[in-house]
Amino acid sequence: MATTLLDDRRAVTEPAGLSRVPRRSPPITAPLVTIGLRPGDEPLVVPGDRVSVGDPLLRRQRHPQVAEQPLRARSVPAPGTRFVEGAELGGSGRRALRYEGAGEVLYATPSGRLRAVVARHHAVVASPVTGTVRSIDPCALVVHAEGPALPAALAVGEPSHGTLVVAVDGPDAELHANQIDVRHAGAVLVAGSRVDIEGLTRARAMGVRGMIVGGVIGGDVVALRASIERQDASVHASPSFALVVLDGYGKRPVPRWTWDALVGAAGQEVGLGITPPLILLEPGAGMPVADPARVRVTAGPLLGRTGRFVRLLARRRRAAGVHQECALVELDPVALPGVAELIDVPLADLERDG
Amino acid sequence: MTSEPHAFFTLDAGSATLAAALIARVDGRWRLLAADAAPVGIPGDVLLRGLVDQVHAARPEALPDPAGWPDWTRVESRTWPPPRVVIAGPSDRSTDALARAFAADGWNVGTGITPERAGALEAAIALRDPGLDLVAVAAPDGLGGHEHEALLDVLALVGATAGLRDDLPVLVAGRGGSGRPDLPAERVRRTHGAGDAVPAARELVGRRRDGWSNDGRDAFVRSIASLAAVLDLRVEGVDVGLDAGTRVMAGPDGVMRRLVRADAALVPPEAVDDQRFLDAIARWSPLADDAFAIRDRLRNLRVAPWRDAAGDGARLRLAAARASLERLDAAWHDPARERHHDARGADRLADPVPLTAPDLVVVSGGAFAVPPAPAVALAIVDILRRPGAMALALDHARVLAPLGTIESEPDRRRMLADLADDILLPLGSVVVAPGLRAGHRGTLRVTADGASTSLPLTPGAVQVVDLPPGLSAAAELESPDDLFVGVRARRALFRVTGGLGGLLVDTRDMPLRLPDRPERRREFLDTWQRPFWTTAEP
Repeated sequence: MATTLLDDRRAVTEPAGLSRVPRRSPPITAPLVTIGLRPGDEPLVVPGDRVSVGDPLLRRQRHPQVAEQPLRARSVPAPGTRFVEGAELGGSGRRALRYEGAGEVLYATPSGRLRAVVARHHAVVASPVTGTVRSIDPCALVVHAEGPALPAALAVGEPSHGTLVVAVDGPDAELHANQIDVRHAGAVLVAGSRVDIEGLTRARAMGVRGMIVGGVIGGDVVALRASIERQDASVHASPSFALVVLDGYGKRPVPRWTWDALVGAAGQEVGLGITPPLILLEPGAGMPVADPARVRVTAGPLLGRTGRFVRLLARRRRAAGVHQECALVELDPVALPGVAELIDVPLADLERDG
Repeated sequence: MTSEPHAFFTLDAGSATLAAALIARVDGRWRLLAADAAPVGIPGDVLLRGLVDQVHAARPEALPDPAGWPDWTRVESRTWPPPRVVIAGPSDRSTDALARAFAADGWNVGTGITPERAGALEAAIALRDPGLDLVAVAAPDGLGGHEHEALLDVLALVGATAGLRDDLPVLVAGRGGSGRPDLPAERVRRTHGAGDAVPAARELVGRRRDGWSNDGRDAFVRSIASLAAVLDLRVEGVDVGLDAGTRVMAGPDGVMRRLVRADAALVPPEAVDDQRFLDAIARWSPLADDAFAIRDRLRNLRVAPWRDAAGDGARLRLAAARASLERLDAAWHDPARERHHDARGADRLADPVPLTAPDLVVVSGGAFAVPPAPAVALAIVDILRRPGAMALALDHARVLAPLGTIESEPDRRRMLADLADDILLPLGSVVVAPGLRAGHRGTLRVTADGASTSLPLTPGAVQVVDLPPGLSAAAELESPDDLFVGVRARRALFRVTGGLGGLLVDTRDMPLRLPDRPERRREFLDTWQRPFWTTAEP
């Protein structure tokens, strides 16, 4: 056993060689949540404002279009100038420029026309997190969250929030479409190891605000993106929806430590961030204690199994003649309680908890 | 390096893995003593400490006081995700040369902003992307009519965005539209044309990322050039990484050609949501899984490239590497590349690409680190097909890129002269000789150390002759038909060297033809590759 000094300066004892195992992405304390801004978006907050989950952050144009007006001899409004419908620009009275719809000045063309992005309809983007607005620029609005966040592998959709509901029995269970109903409206569902496009479509139709899964079929992600684009193009705005994928593509159990954290947060309000992909928990949310010697298998037939790192093994020859450094792992019993399996696993296919 | 330590480390920090090596002066020359690699996230000191312990246990006298290892010199290279550039201009035709120049330098080139491709809104959205590192405007002089108006319009749009974003540098390639007040002069750099745009762009963007001095891809190119000078050979270097692919051809007189492509990464980010891109990669897969499963496994290769590296995972990884090499090779031979603008903006022919095999091909990168050497050799031969003979070697410790950061060329050459045997793992030699007609038979005679072996030479096949590392041999081919080995000949003689993969004699077509039907293609690939994989389970 070797003694190491962790970041928090507590000396702990861990098995020799464990430091060669990749660590699970740790929870982020007070993360920065980025909301991308498009031309025409109107922030409703200013840097320094404190926002709570659900507070309006910005007004987003729906069906934006570029409109142009001849400048003639009027003064040129600066690019980025925002205006409401019918507002006077570049002068006053009959000489003023007016657009049908609210929007933002893009630029003045050399041929003497003022181009602006305008829209008649808007949707409000709500904060997925409690925190402080850190910065706003033409590209993004950044909120400094107060609570911790669990990092994920990818996220699709728009930042969203809702009450966390664990909708499956275990981290490797699947949530089927027929298990989602109106009771879940407004909730963020923990959907286990996989959800298909049928389940995603039904969830959106039932007013679910987001789903958290271990894995997803790549084709379903493409289909979900297309579905969200179609919804955006429709007349009526729909509530935001986010899919957060914790571990990658295909059917993949929710990592055990993250599962425990989500079970602990059930019933609380959580946010889902897209850039970067995050599960945003309430300030003061508790986290499970991480055992440094606990590991999870991240690839192969034992995917998702957890166990205890015993010791480092020498480089071993594996299938297809590949040589890999391995570790001996005592897997947690599954079939026969109390009977543990000892097995060698490549270091690259392991992830440690602490 | 300013001083000569008795031992030092090299560190190559890639996007997926970190490779470390321990080099020390032993018996008056530099030797590679140990090397290791681990997924990103594993602290470098964990690897370095392991290397020191390993060497100290086996040969303590080779190292200075091991307790002092944290202070030993570290020669480091690093690769970043490619910088992103959007090319704007009055027409697709005018932006083409600029887009190609950036793509050939490894930049991630976004969809162009031209009147044909993007309206004002799409253009404004593209220019406000927070991940954008640079906007480059193609502004050729002497445009007339609509193109001139379109250029002024684009400059006005870019100028408006530049006024809003003080973090976005702007590069204007050409003198067109000069004198317009649209662009903030202090943030804009003008160049003569596409030819000198990329160096200027590197300078602009480099300020935001602490320069390019230890950029792993540039350093790899420098090392290959130094290696060619040291060995007095024509050397080709190929590196496939998670974020880009690099190919360089160098001779004793320096770099002959260099290409870095973001789209030649192992699984480029844009492939994840692009089914056709994934299927183009999967085209090289010999796995029998269904298409959905293979696509998801490829996507996971992007998410966590170090996982699932044995068995079918290794085969799929090498299939992805083959597809990367294919994209790199297509860009290398792109006929449109043959014309480009020089530093003064004049249109001229680029240097021709050598068509015959180099003397030595050095492959590097995590994609080639895991599979068995013979399988790697076959992957190279499948894609980088040039008639003639060449030796293949693997930069197994990923030392070339870090050594390329050594500023002094003489120092680097001295180092490489000492280390070449240690850092270049011989994969074997390859003779590519198409031309033998179906039903005909030739003869392959290999002579080494006075002993000779004769084998029948069959058309459309890859034959392997066991030729261990360190052994040099003469390979003689005789055929009733003309073989194409750089020249057409019925009898050809090559000097070849041994390696872990032995000698590969390839009489398949050029270019390699694969069946169109997926199942038939998979069987084909499986039949070719099976002998090259060691299939015995542990």
